[in-house]
Amino acid sequence: MKESTVITVPSSPKYLSVIRAVTASMAETYGMANKAIEDVKLAVDEACSNVIKYAYKGDTGQRIVVKFVLGKGFEVVIEDNGAKAHPESIEGRSLDEVRPGGLGVHFIRRVFDVFAFDEKKKKGNRLRLIRHRRGEDEDRDRGQ
Amino acid sequence: MKIEIADNNGTKVIAVSGDIDMYTSPDLRKELLVLVQKKITPLYVDFRGVSYIDSSGIATFVEGLKGMMTYGGKLKFIGIPAHIMEIFCFAKLDRVFEMYGTLNDACNS
Repeated sequence: MKESTVITVPSSPKYLSVIRAVTASMAETYGMANKAIEDVKLAVDEACSNVIKYAYKGDTGQRIVVKFVLGKGFEVVIEDNGAKAHPESIEGRSLDEVRPGGLGVHFIRRVFDVFAFDEKKKKGNRLRLIRHRRGEDEDRDRGQ
Repeated sequence: MKIEIADNNGTKVIAVSGDIDMYTSPDLRKELLVLVQKKITPLYVDFRGVSYIDSSGIATFVEGLKGMMTYGGKLKFIGIPAHIMEIFCFAKLDRVFEMYGTLNDACNS
């Protein structure tokens, strides 16, 4: 059975700590190992930071909806009503290049198996992130 | 996040604690760039109290380092916790920043 939890927070960087805390708690509930919890927390933080920066262009008076669905995989759906993302242009910088910026997408993609924008959403964005259950998560389930 | 800046025989140690994220990194950037503008070198950053860092925090240090390189300055990191070191390594920045276990190690390098 799938279990879901939804939080809605203002589009202010101030609330990223709230998103991280809930993400970590949901990942722990799902049974992830500590390393995976840290990775997932960073990835969701980066995705929500991108909403603030690019979709809302720094407007802190909007809303970000984050939904967690725990099932066969660990799924996070992030919704906003801001400017449309252009998935084809979302690409991190080369990791061999040393310059500020361009790392967030790498932090998301390394931990989530699915990184997909819902094209059916007319206004704003709906980003679906899914991490399939992995060996280290199973270890945690067995009490390690 | 808290930032404390201490003198160390003419150089500076920036001790950061708490979470460095999109909300807090602008404060860190401001403090760091003031020291960079003064061309202080070496500049030590004590990570022992840092619990979290995201890409905006990393970008702040990359910007600081780039600024210091213009005058031959050295930016040295101290006591990076394992889970934060892993992020620097993933981003291949462990090859870019100088990292040490203790302030003594950094001073003697």
